[in-house]
Amino acid sequence: MLTGRFAAILFFCLASATLSVAQERESRAEADRQRREEKNRNLHPYEPGAFERAMHFAEEKAIFILGREGLYPKLGSLTTGSGFAYGAGFRDRDLFDNKGMIDLWAATSTRGYWATEARLTFPALAHRRLLLETWAAHREYPQEHFFGIGPDSLRSNVTSYAIRSNLFGGRAGVRPVGIVLAGGGLEYLNPRLGPGENAEVPSIEDVFTPITAPGLGESVDYLHSTAFVEVDYRQPTNARKGGWYRFDLSHFDDRTTGRYSVTRFNTDLRQFVGFLAGRRVMATRLFVSTSDTGQGEVMPFYAMPTLGGNDTLRGFREYRFRGPHAILGQVEYRWEIWSGLEGALFYDAGKVADRRADLDFTDLERDYGFGFRFNTDEAIVFRVDAGFGSKDGKHLYIVFGGIF
Amino acid sequence: MASTSTSSSAASSSGLPMLHRAAAWVVVAIALAASGRAAAPRFYADDPLWSDDDRRFDASKAVPIEDTNGYDFVVNTFTSPGERRDVRAMNVNTVDEVPDSSWFTNRIGRPAAGLTAADVARGPDTLAGVSLQGWVVSGGKSTGVQPGFRMTDPSGQLYQIEIDPPSNPELASAAEIIGTAFYHAIGYNTVDVYLADLDRSALTISERATIRDPLNGKRRRLKRSDLDLVFERAARRPDGRYRVLVSRFAPGKPLGNFRYYGTRPDDPNDIVPHEHRRELRGARVFGAWLNHDDSRGINSLDMLEASAVGGWIKHYMFDFGSILGSGTIYAQRHRPGNEYIFEHKPGWLTLATLGAYVRPWQRIDYPDVPRSIGRFESKAFDPIKWKPEYPNPAFENMRPDDAFWAARIVSRFTDEMIGAIVKKAQYSDPRATEFMTAALIERRDKVVAAWLNEVAPIVEPALTADGTLRFVNAAVEARAAEPPSTYQLQWFRFDNATAARTDVGGRQTTSDVSARAPADLLAAGEFVGVEISAAHPRHPGWARPATFYFRRAAGAWTLVGVARG
Repeated sequence: MLTGRFAAILFFCLASATLSVAQERESRAEADRQRREEKNRNLHPYEPGAFERAMHFAEEKAIFILGREGLYPKLGSLTTGSGFAYGAGFRDRDLFDNKGMIDLWAATSTRGYWATEARLTFPALAHRRLLLETWAAHREYPQEHFFGIGPDSLRSNVTSYAIRSNLFGGRAGVRPVGIVLAGGGLEYLNPRLGPGENAEVPSIEDVFTPITAPGLGESVDYLHSTAFVEVDYRQPTNARKGGWYRFDLSHFDDRTTGRYSVTRFNTDLRQFVGFLAGRRVMATRLFVSTSDTGQGEVMPFYAMPTLGGNDTLRGFREYRFRGPHAILGQVEYRWEIWSGLEGALFYDAGKVADRRADLDFTDLERDYGFGFRFNTDEAIVFRVDAGFGSKDGKHLYIVFGGIF
Repeated sequence: MASTSTSSSAASSSGLPMLHRAAAWVVVAIALAASGRAAAPRFYADDPLWSDDDRRFDASKAVPIEDTNGYDFVVNTFTSPGERRDVRAMNVNTVDEVPDSSWFTNRIGRPAAGLTAADVARGPDTLAGVSLQGWVVSGGKSTGVQPGFRMTDPSGQLYQIEIDPPSNPELASAAEIIGTAFYHAIGYNTVDVYLADLDRSALTISERATIRDPLNGKRRRLKRSDLDLVFERAARRPDGRYRVLVSRFAPGKPLGNFRYYGTRPDDPNDIVPHEHRRELRGARVFGAWLNHDDSRGINSLDMLEASAVGGWIKHYMFDFGSILGSGTIYAQRHRPGNEYIFEHKPGWLTLATLGAYVRPWQRIDYPDVPRSIGRFESKAFDPIKWKPEYPNPAFENMRPDDAFWAARIVSRFTDEMIGAIVKKAQYSDPRATEFMTAALIERRDKVVAAWLNEVAPIVEPALTADGTLRFVNAAVEARAAEPPSTYQLQWFRFDNATAARTDVGGRQTTSDVSARAPADLLAAGEFVGVEISAAHPRHPGWARPATFYFRRAAGAWTLVGVARG
């Protein structure tokens, strides 16, 4: 009996509620109001997920850790073949009301290289017409490769040597017009050689002598003076069109023995032709280096231009060829796959020569290959290049940084 | 009574049947209650609503949501946030229009507003113009790629000052001026923007001015050298002065950006998922017309404004520096507007073919125009293929009815209005004004032709008491199509409680934009309707009918419902 009454009462209540709801909702505005009222009862602040928090950290904090002012982590490479380098630095890029920047750093690498440097730069004085820069540095590269001098050096003769240098210098440049920079510089350096520390190959003195490796066993201080002209009309800096040309004349003046002075003239011509909205680029480079010594003087092997490695002949090891004269031609076809990623097909050809007369396009060492570049408009950030077709086999280069 | 009693005694003799009966009553009651909730009528008495009261509840507890470039890109490129569903926009009223709200105000879309070309060009501006005399530099600019800083006028009102790139004088400022005027006239909330002349030597820096150091992200005092860096990247006029864009800060407290998906969990008024909002879906059409490839959440702004109950959130479209031919700090690149930043198919094809596969946009031949235009054209422009920088959930959900709504708005911009807006950008080279106006007119015509014809473009139906129906073909009116040879009509009676539709009479055919309802249809009933389609050899979309619902009120028929497609 009670149950029946209860059911009747419940029925009455629910039916009344139904009618009431129907009446309340006789307008669209009221229906919307009820939905908002319901949400209002369940408000809560937005809670980002773990991925979102990580992305925020990466974009708002981590980017400032890598590129931060003051103390910063120094990551990357010290020189070709150094391996991955890591260290710490301090920089201030808005000195003197944003006119100057100072950068001090010290780093070591996975292959035991280390270096430290202090550099003060004023990149755009006098309404961007004047560049001034000065530096002091110390470098210790314990396992640089040496295969011998000249085009016929053998891969099997690979050795290593250590080189340690202190450097102090400065340079100045003026921009008479926007695309031209001309100037000169002066640098003191005191390279000191030592046995190579690469346990997998012999040290240099085990295979070569001061005759076959001039400068070996000598300690020479140099005053290095340079005059240069640069023309740069690339668009953008990681070029899709335009050109970059540099001519520099330099003199390494042996201030210790007077027997190892060198005068060198380098020409580096880079041309970029873009097509299909600049998403395809033909990039070409011609580099020629020729050196002279005074009467009775010799050129130390460590001051000679080299070919081989991730930015010259990519089918060869670093510093595979070394000589007083060098010529290098490179052609790349670059095609954009996605924004920020390019593919590249390349062909490199070059040689070193003992005599300037041999500096021609015959008997060139050659390689070809392909690569991928992660880039921005300003630079290649990271690249992978695989070189084939050389007499030295295949080579894979993974590089933080660009190429011509 | 006796039977009741018997029934009761019978029940009491066996408790179980009694319980069953009670349960049955309860089930019936619950079912009735539930049906009372579910069986809402198709049309309420106040339909169609022209204003959505989304300021009613207090949203003052909302906290900023500020997305970053990378997060927004990754989430929208590699996941599918929000709901991707072929469903009618959820904030439209019953006549398929967008009610005024904190998101959108019908301006040019409502002919009764009677906007003139001058009104449209004036846009959101509350001042006739600005002069920077007496203003002080009050801070740096820490967001966006366009260099600039902040200034405060003598009354304390804050403004953002932005400059044009040296390579393309007038480029970004013109894009902002033009974009703001268009988006405002369309109906979005935008901030006031003005052009002004700036004398760099006359700038005064407030002692309290700070900047977020671009090198380390820390806030510090603003120095004159910070301004020097801005002006190094600025186009300077021959007289040494600078043309700058002056944007008035919106009133209220900034709450970051809105997203093109989901709702804010801390805003009680925000109940429609953004990917299902008509004005956000339809923004794809406007984005295509004006090449607003930067149509993404981070280019939006939520502001908390005070109200009697506490506060409500106003939603702004923001940052038009990268529309038209402008890439803000350079002439727009070729890809934006044509392909997402990351798109699988063309990328893999290009990779696999070593670049032999050429994306169509790489072959577009852009006209030789003044540098203030940037990279912009109208000949190769295909509105259907247009794309923003990366997928936008609301754009992905755009249906033909959403596009039709937006295209109708676009069609209302006359040549004179477009000319007035472009003139407001004050290009110093008359060729730029001429080109931009012509290009926008041609792009408008393409947009209208593409999206007005995806459904039967029937609008403005009117049913008289005597049963005469008149309507307008919006595509024909906009000169985006030739009239069809015939229209097909199907009349019906509509039961508002059950949503049941009962056809009355056979299919009618008319070659005119008028017809007569069957006599017996109008004799009884509160709601009647008609479904209209057309066959057109060039516009197969016209076969997607438009359906109109009329309600009888005071002896007349009032349009109460519209459905397309």
